[in-house]
Amino acid sequence: MTTKRKAAKSVKKAAKSSKSAKVSTQAAMAIATSPQKTVKQRVAAMAEVPLAVCESDKDLQKMLKVLSNKEEPIEVRLAALQSLQAASFSVVAFESCRSDYIATLRKVATDPDPELRQRVLGILAREKDRFVQKKLLEGLQNPEKALVPPEKALQLLSYDVHAEAYSAARAIVSNPPNATAKREALRLLAADATAAPMFEKVLRDKGELAENRQISASALQALKPERLQTLAREMLLDKSEHDDIQATSLTALTQFGDEEAVRKDEELREGVDRLSAEASTASTKVKQSARRFLSKYHQ
Amino acid sequence: MTSAHSETQFAALVDALAADPDRREQLTDLLREDHPFYDQRGTATTIQMRGWVLLALGRAGVSDAALIFVLEELDTGVDAYLVAAAARALRSYPHPTAALAPFAMRALANIRYRDDPVSFESYGEYADLSTDTSPVQELLATLGWLGPRARAVLPELETLRAQRGGLSRKRLIDVDRALKAIRGADQVDEFSADTCCTLPSGLRNTFSWALSSRRGCEPIESTVFQDHNGELITFKEFFTGHPSIVVFFYTRCDNPLKCSLTVTKLARIQKLLEARGLTDQIHTAAITYDPAFDLPERIRGYGQHRGVCMDAHHRMLRATAGIETLRRHFKLGVNFIESLVNRHRVEVYILDSDGRIAASFERIHWDEQQVVDRTIEVLNEKSDEAAPEVSVQPADLTARRKTALPMIGTLASLGVAFFPKCPICWAAYLSVFGIASINQIPYSPWLRPVLVAVMLINLASVWLRGRLTGRMSGFYLVSAGALVIVVSKMRPSWESAAVWGVALTLAGSLLSALKSPKGRSPLTELMGKMWRKQFSDTPL
Repeated sequence: MTTKRKAAKSVKKAAKSSKSAKVSTQAAMAIATSPQKTVKQRVAAMAEVPLAVCESDKDLQKMLKVLSNKEEPIEVRLAALQSLQAASFSVVAFESCRSDYIATLRKVATDPDPELRQRVLGILAREKDRFVQKKLLEGLQNPEKALVPPEKALQLLSYDVHAEAYSAARAIVSNPPNATAKREALRLLAADATAAPMFEKVLRDKGELAENRQISASALQALKPERLQTLAREMLLDKSEHDDIQATSLTALTQFGDEEAVRKDEELREGVDRLSAEASTASTKVKQSARRFLSKYHQ
Repeated sequence: MTSAHSETQFAALVDALAADPDRREQLTDLLREDHPFYDQRGTATTIQMRGWVLLALGRAGVSDAALIFVLEELDTGVDAYLVAAAARALRSYPHPTAALAPFAMRALANIRYRDDPVSFESYGEYADLSTDTSPVQELLATLGWLGPRARAVLPELETLRAQRGGLSRKRLIDVDRALKAIRGADQVDEFSADTCCTLPSGLRNTFSWALSSRRGCEPIESTVFQDHNGELITFKEFFTGHPSIVVFFYTRCDNPLKCSLTVTKLARIQKLLEARGLTDQIHTAAITYDPAFDLPERIRGYGQHRGVCMDAHHRMLRATAGIETLRRHFKLGVNFIESLVNRHRVEVYILDSDGRIAASFERIHWDEQQVVDRTIEVLNEKSDEAAPEVSVQPADLTARRKTALPMIGTLASLGVAFFPKCPICWAAYLSVFGIASINQIPYSPWLRPVLVAVMLINLASVWLRGRLTGRMSGFYLVSAGALVIVVSKMRPSWESAAVWGVALTLAGSLLSALKSPKGRSPLTELMGKMWRKQFSDTPL
């Protein structure tokens, strides 16, 4: 009997605490969406509402209105976006809101505020939203229409292999607006099966940035691994080659090389021995990679 | 018009075709994946273009020929725009039947967590207002349009309505409207008509070619493939000398209901073949649409993760010189932007032992059992030519065919056992037969070797079936029966044992004929078939 009473008490207590939590969430929602409150108060309240966002259509509409209203302070709009984004992780609970949420994000994707715009574009790009992909491609083809810098657009387009961004990326590699854009274009093209000759060219080009050459080596490993093995050997034996590239070449041969062929390759092993011994000139990275290579192939 | 034309021109053409009753049928042709219009278009563009054609079909009325494309989108589609357009188009089909309801319900289950707003106002428009329509909204309207014909999916829809998060709150009004229409009694009579559960006969996802009408594989027999281990092999080397099951896929396909599921189903096919002891006689292959990207390591991993068995008879393949020759030969339902697939259909082919296409299953999800059975029929074609006295029977052949041979064999055994030795015995037999008025048959000594030959054919048939199913008990019984009959005929004192010989032959033959390949009883097998017919992915 006592146990039953205790259980009933604990149920009542839980119901009471759930009720009070609901009340406090409703209060937070009221503060978050009230223009009369200060920005600080509203941002703080936004952090407490994610789970309640989809509880009622009225609350959802209020939050979406805050997000899309250009008159609202940007801090509050960003907080509203964060809150909605957090709520969207509960896929099932968020299902009721998804349609309105996506429609609002598409509207905000062209917002004048660059930070909000970029974050919204990021969310939609991760959803592989065709509307956003279209806008991003338009911006790459016509910089006047660009919603984000080209490097960011390429990064966002790379979330979807079917985003038809290859030709735009190739155009940027041949005529880059800046170094970062070229780097992002190379990253994106690493999934383009026809881009292997271009990566070979970049990898061989000693005037190219080391980072771009490393991206090219990695792309070649994915697209034409046997070609990378040949090039890695060449670059390793080239004494004028950059340290970072030699380290990359060593890693490629150690991790993905044809063990039998490498073991038989006397010239290659002597070259690596030499690199390992050149304590004064070779960088630590090269020496470490050489040691790994030798420990694998000297056994 | 080709891919050189702009999207605006395409949209205008589609509108013109929809408005012209004489040219409406051309809209269906525009839904072929390999249509030149889609060549070198991106995936997003292809979606917009196909969606616009589906909407035009919705205005003009979906014909029997176009229906398969609409159902394909509901069956395997994951894009909100295309699914919504297909659902809307289906409502213009003039012959709604109960068989359409499972497609709409399946699409609802697939798309409900991606219920993005879509706009059908003008070509290329994206919705930025949630007041536009959505795939779930369109699908619910389609279920409502089917009304009582959708009664088979009513429990599923009710469950979806009841469960928390099953469907968006915003769609509850639409769900209730659909439920009310389905429960409605006004059309019950129509629902109970005989044709309630069948799709139109013109709708086909399975194609077969008779032996004489198959195209040779000469154009591609020298095509070189690289398999999952990097080993090179030509089409002729791998695909001739035995039937093969071939599926197409690519590892970067982002539709889980297409390539990933196709390769998983290929693994299931391999298990079915294994259960029937056919893994050496029927080869399987999964060929990538994207050979430039899908290197051996990549296709091996893709197959392994989906349970595909890979060995000398079962391989994941990439064509080293590109997909173009294969695309032409198989008339693949695929198109590309550069080397990347922009759209493809679900397709599986059965090749005969000369590497020619004997059958194909397209667009709508195929049933593994059906594919295996059809391949065994193709295997049989060859057996029939080489050794007409034996035949491999596919699991779903009619009971009549299954039991005819054992019965003939048993009758032959009976004949051998009781064949009269001399004209006097024959006269004695006839005096008994006289009661049945068959005493006109002359004594025919040549009949005995014929009956012995038929008995031996029965023995061979039971042995072959035993080998295929892996259960030899029927064969042992029939062998014992034959032995007893032969001995009883050789030693006159054992003549009465012939009855036991016949009984053993009959028992062995029936055991062999009635035992299903999976060891289930014929009744279980029949129930399974009825169930599959009702609810399978390919109810055609």
